[in-house]
Amino acid sequence: MKFLKSIRDLLSTKKAVSLVIVSGVTLGLLFTIGGSKVVKYTSSDDYCMSCHVHPHAEQSWKLSPHYDNKAGVIVHCVQCHLPPEGHGMLFAKAKHGMKDLYGYWFKDSSEYKWAAKRKLDAAKKYMYTESCTNCHKNLFPKTLTVEGENAHLNYLTSNSDISCLNCHLTVGHFDPNAKHEHDTNFGSNGSKKAEIYSEPALVTTFGNFNEKIPGTSVSFDMVAIPGGEFVMGSSKNEAFHKLDESPMHPVKVSRFFMGKIEVSWDEYLEFFKATSSQGRKEAEVNENIDAITGPTPPWGAPDQGWGKGARPAITMSWKSANTYCRWLSKVTGKKYRLPTEAEWEYAARGGTKTPYFFEGNPKDFTSDGFFRKIFGPDTAKISSYIAYKVNSQGQTFDPAAVKANPYGLKNMLGNVYEFCSDYYSPTAYAAYKKGAVDPKGPKKGKEHVIRGGSFKSDARDVRCASRDFTKTDKWLVTDPQMPKSVWWYSDCVDIGFRVVCEVEENIK
Amino acid sequence: MEDNNKGFNRRRFLESTALAGIGLLGAGMVISGCKKTKDAKELGLPPILKAAPKGKKLRAGLVGVGNRGTGAALNFIGSGPDLHIVALADIFQDKVDAGRERFAKFKINIPAENCFTGFDAYKKLMALPEVDVVILATPPKFRPEHFKEAVLQNKHVFLEKPIAVDAVGIRSIIASAKKAQAVGLNVVTGTQRRHQEDYIATYQQVANGAIGKPVSARAFWNQEHVWFRTREEGWDDMTYMIRNWNNFCWLSGDHILDQHVHNIDVINWFLGKTPISAVGYGGRARRLTGDQFDFFSVDYDFGDGLYSHSMCRQIDSCANNTGEFIMGTEGYTNCVNTIWNMDGSVKWKFEYPKDENGNEMTQVKIPPYVQEHMHLVHAIRTGNYVNQAEETAHSTLAAIMGRTAAYTGKKITWEEMFKSDMELGPKEFVFGPVDMQFEVPVPGTAHKA
Repeated sequence: MKFLKSIRDLLSTKKAVSLVIVSGVTLGLLFTIGGSKVVKYTSSDDYCMSCHVHPHAEQSWKLSPHYDNKAGVIVHCVQCHLPPEGHGMLFAKAKHGMKDLYGYWFKDSSEYKWAAKRKLDAAKKYMYTESCTNCHKNLFPKTLTVEGENAHLNYLTSNSDISCLNCHLTVGHFDPNAKHEHDTNFGSNGSKKAEIYSEPALVTTFGNFNEKIPGTSVSFDMVAIPGGEFVMGSSKNEAFHKLDESPMHPVKVSRFFMGKIEVSWDEYLEFFKATSSQGRKEAEVNENIDAITGPTPPWGAPDQGWGKGARPAITMSWKSANTYCRWLSKVTGKKYRLPTEAEWEYAARGGTKTPYFFEGNPKDFTSDGFFRKIFGPDTAKISSYIAYKVNSQGQTFDPAAVKANPYGLKNMLGNVYEFCSDYYSPTAYAAYKKGAVDPKGPKKGKEHVIRGGSFKSDARDVRCASRDFTKTDKWLVTDPQMPKSVWWYSDCVDIGFRVVCEVEENIK
Repeated sequence: MEDNNKGFNRRRFLESTALAGIGLLGAGMVISGCKKTKDAKELGLPPILKAAPKGKKLRAGLVGVGNRGTGAALNFIGSGPDLHIVALADIFQDKVDAGRERFAKFKINIPAENCFTGFDAYKKLMALPEVDVVILATPPKFRPEHFKEAVLQNKHVFLEKPIAVDAVGIRSIIASAKKAQAVGLNVVTGTQRRHQEDYIATYQQVANGAIGKPVSARAFWNQEHVWFRTREEGWDDMTYMIRNWNNFCWLSGDHILDQHVHNIDVINWFLGKTPISAVGYGGRARRLTGDQFDFFSVDYDFGDGLYSHSMCRQIDSCANNTGEFIMGTEGYTNCVNTIWNMDGSVKWKFEYPKDENGNEMTQVKIPPYVQEHMHLVHAIRTGNYVNQAEETAHSTLAAIMGRTAAYTGKKITWEEMFKSDMELGPKEFVFGPVDMQFEVPVPGTAHKA
């Protein structure tokens, strides 16, 4: 008591009060000055690079217009990678700092998927629109081109979540492969000297064949898929089953041929060269016309700089893929088209009834879930068949890199999503509860079915029964043109397709 | 002024609304029951001036030396002290010559070396360093290109309405408007009702709740047939079309733009928004030249159950009228000078000035055509920035949307119109034959007999 009293006495003196105030202010000042010094010190380029030792980040920054420009202005790491003061800068700094420290201590930077981190989705997580606009205050400088005007008007009037990065992804870290223009040379593959086919493949018996595109040196394999009956969809007991995969129902499928691999760039580029249109003239939807009008020149590099050749052609719209089939039918005299959803699943299963066409439980393969994050999934088996999130490095695979399914088809699961001819409806299967013969899906709809998952998907979404659908508006958010392209998606890099060919009745 | 910075604004908006919320709570307690009326400044209304203020000498160049162009130039000179017309540009020599003579009658001598002709005349005029202001009064097809060049050459601009004929032109105007704003170039447009004192006073009443919440609107411009030229010997296709521009859609945008845009603009202004979509029809009953309709009737959907019926016609001996009307929950207005209660009694009336006999006049003292130039000069000389290009672009786009709805018979949305690749007219502007079809649009498809 005596002790407490003496303290109370001490505090009651005027001197003591001022002492408390002065020391409080001093401490506060020390904290503030010290704190701001700490913030300043930990925000220098040198400090950033003391942990971010992967040298390409620094090199690509120094080659970018944010370092190498006429004005001699250098934009530092934190000016882009943190929001400006007053926009949650300290919070973001703490958040990124913690993450970086964790990565620095517990991870190996050589194992990072740098290519994937430079894609828009990932880049948005450590870039701030406020930081861009903090310096770039005038979106309409006098030198802006008409394309730029349209793009910036689109940004200002768009209801969707669009950031500067959607178009200006590589301005902070230089990418020699990035293109910010319409690629008018797209489709020309140099002067390849190879046999030019004059006739398409002649098919007289029901068996695998190699189709040749007349007038080109491109051929591709078609696999004969015998007709039969299978159970479409998945049961509630299947791991990661979704509602739209039910009810399970028996489906009879007539025989057909199916592309062994997804339509490759080699194949697609022939179509592009033969039909591409200069200006924006929408193709007439009229099957009788001779001339088929195809895609306009794409913006930037649709192959994402991953290479063309046998890799699947990607980023084309459903309309483009459908037009491709019409064109291929015309030049080969056969009946090519997109697969129905039933044909697709029938072919993907290859006679199996399990989640994948090989043995294994999706629960063992998924990377989702607390324990998986710590111990890592079992990937050896699935990786030999499927290009998916874990093994893909954020890119498409060359089909040579995976094993085929029981029918001999490659990349049915994973690599890229594949268009089907059906419109998507989450309740589509209900109509076929009692079974169906060659079902074609709902009569009307807006979006189309896509199947098989992609190199971006987790193991849970590359099951044979997994369903998904096109998202037209979302996949065109960035497209700076007015109006937007009907031929290319600007914001979907993991969509492609595979063709089927109908079997003439007289073939045995 | 509008900030281009979208993300920044969103965040700022959240912060300031949070603060405003706190502020409102406090303020609400203090002044509860006290209704505040917004003044002209808060409503973004232009100043009503007796004359433009004194200031540095301003020299204007006129692009498009027709009747309206010459009139606009004289309005400019008449709007205040030390204002001059120093250069002329027109596609045709005879237009420039006639213009020079007319200006000479007002003791304004325009040197021959400052007079330009041809399709690139505007570029030569805008390259003159002594020109501070340009008055753009050619057929509206050319306006976007001229405005763009004017901004590049750092000129303040008067833009006659309508300011484009297609979607590509509209976007160009909006982009140029933003470029002008970024460097402080003033822009006034020829939708002169926004500079007419009686309209402005009525707007102030409506904006302060005099008619309650607007529930429906009408706009109309129905009149006799307008001027046209038949083809003269020796005129090639391009010459003929430009001489008769008022009757070709690619040059004038059709009369739903050329005239009716005034009324559409008033409705957009008073309702404080632009329409979401339009359904309409029209046709061609009595027109003699060109490819345009002579009547339109369009239903504009502003959302939330609010519609505006727009009509315009250019046919002789029919019921004619021009104006606007807005119905509200607590009254209605003709937008120009009167507000009525729901029972039909007059609630408010604009007081016009009195003539020398003490009788109330029927018009404002200073014509709006002069008032708008006073505003432009005022803005340049005082630094009170003005830029009307975007609002007029929006009204013009609404008119284009209505026109397209009538031509096609389809429902046209603002979104698709704004993003459309519609670009009318030939790709190149040169004298000689023009390879174009001029069929009058017919909506819908034919059915079998």
